[in-house]
Amino acid sequence: MILSIEELSIAGQGRTIVDNVSLAVREGEFMALVGQSGSGKSLLSQSIGQLLPPNLHASGRILFEGSNLLERTSKEMRALRGSRISYIFQDYQGAFTPFRSIGGHFDEYQKVHGEKSSAVRKTKAAAALESVGLDAALLRRYPFQLSGGQLQRAAIATSLLLSPRLLIADEATTALDSVSGHRVLELLVAKQKETGCAILFITHDWRHVRRYANRLSVMKEGRIVESGGKHRILDHPQHEYTRNLIDAAPVLSRSLKSGLEEESR
Amino acid sequence: MKSIPLRVRTRAAKSKKHSVQAIVAALFALLVIAASAYTFLVLKHDPTLTDLRGRLLGASTLHPLGTDHLGRDVLTRLLLGGGQTLGYSLLALGAALVIGIPFGIVAGYKRGWVDKLFMRIADGFLAFPDTIVAIVLSGLLGAGIGNLVLAIVIVKWVSYARLVRSTVLSESQKDYIRIARTNGLSDARIMTKHLLPHIAGHVLVLASLDLGKIILLISSLSYIGLGAQPPTPEWGAMLNDSRPYFQSRPELMVYPGLAIVSVVLLANMLGDYLRDRFDVKKEVQP
Repeated sequence: MILSIEELSIAGQGRTIVDNVSLAVREGEFMALVGQSGSGKSLLSQSIGQLLPPNLHASGRILFEGSNLLERTSKEMRALRGSRISYIFQDYQGAFTPFRSIGGHFDEYQKVHGEKSSAVRKTKAAAALESVGLDAALLRRYPFQLSGGQLQRAAIATSLLLSPRLLIADEATTALDSVSGHRVLELLVAKQKETGCAILFITHDWRHVRRYANRLSVMKEGRIVESGGKHRILDHPQHEYTRNLIDAAPVLSRSLKSGLEEESR
Repeated sequence: MKSIPLRVRTRAAKSKKHSVQAIVAALFALLVIAASAYTFLVLKHDPTLTDLRGRLLGASTLHPLGTDHLGRDVLTRLLLGGGQTLGYSLLALGAALVIGIPFGIVAGYKRGWVDKLFMRIADGFLAFPDTIVAIVLSGLLGAGIGNLVLAIVIVKWVSYARLVRSTVLSESQKDYIRIARTNGLSDARIMTKHLLPHIAGHVLVLASLDLGKIILLISSLSYIGLGAQPPTPEWGAMLNDSRPYFQSRPELMVYPGLAIVSVVLLANMLGDYLRDRFDVKKEVQP
């Protein structure tokens, strides 16, 4: 168990937004957290990195590699973020500081996480770009000189740069069309196979869950209504809300909802 | 379809405007350099040496712009005064930037109580017109160019801090700042390496437009006796000195007046140019 969230509540200004949520992510698995907008899933992901807005407060326990993240100092969290836990968001266009070169970002992240040798930093940056299928020459370019697809890949490469144990993808495919979304996920899954990092994939899109997730949790109005293996939930949802969500999602092929082929009659 | 030729035309118009500006600025610079070379290398007048027998002289080869009411060479004082006025204006501007920028960045990035406190202070400063605050402050602190510069800094830093704050406020909502945070960069690093370079352009434009205003402020306060003290050559003070002789020797007021006007105009041109430059950059980027 790499991440174990226990009885987490997030509240602010007299309102509880995430209510007593427990959730676990196992080593190296693809865990999906599904829910409509406003169900509190993004706040949940932000609380893992102590990234909540200052007016919100998290209580409970978030155990990462055995220690409670909510008790860590902000300095310890800084060291953890980007190296052990990293994030991917939906906006790839704005993922890089406009006036810094792509290489500048790679260099800086390694530098703040303690890599002192600039030669090593350069080699690692080039290797990271190449591992997502980009030319290392892009390191010298500026963000506005890259295409959308290149930015996506470069952003994913920065997140994976320091081989995190947990990758939190917060609506990472929401702003993309279906093909690009799948391309991003294929890349994530391939990288996951290589590095063995766990992925917490936050989405409201069933198509991606169906195809890539190992396990999933369904969240509604700040609570987890159902958790379990993908096939179990998709084919035999227990909760009324899950059933409604699945029925609302479009299915094209004649197959079971989890992607298993229906037995031929 | 239509927008493309339109943009080309505006850009052509812009570059034409820029080349005219560049010629004007270059001519002015040449004039100043030539006059300075002649004055300081050939004539070598003492700017504060009074010679009552040679007072209020007309133009001659020895005194190209004549002498003032104490017999001092006007051209020498005009050129040195330019150094004074510009130097103190730049000093005031620099100090206002050094105070305003960090204040604005921290307020805009940290928000919360830091920001609230800062905004109240800024509102307080903004409630009064700058000229009046500068007059009151330099009146309270005592006349003198140092106190005048201090007064201008106190008045001016607020506008920079506000500009920086609002830019930072909108920038720090953007994803690249959020991602810098999620990648473990410290707040100090984000503020200096990711926000500061971004706002530098905006601030530069405002600052160069402000330079003209500050020159005017220093000159006008020196004119009423709150800035440079005699015998320091300063344009505003020179204007004031020659006021009693306006009827007989009006050019004594015209020279420093023209100097102020042309430098203020040049400063505005610079600001204009910088603003266009940054616009063009935005046009090209996407």
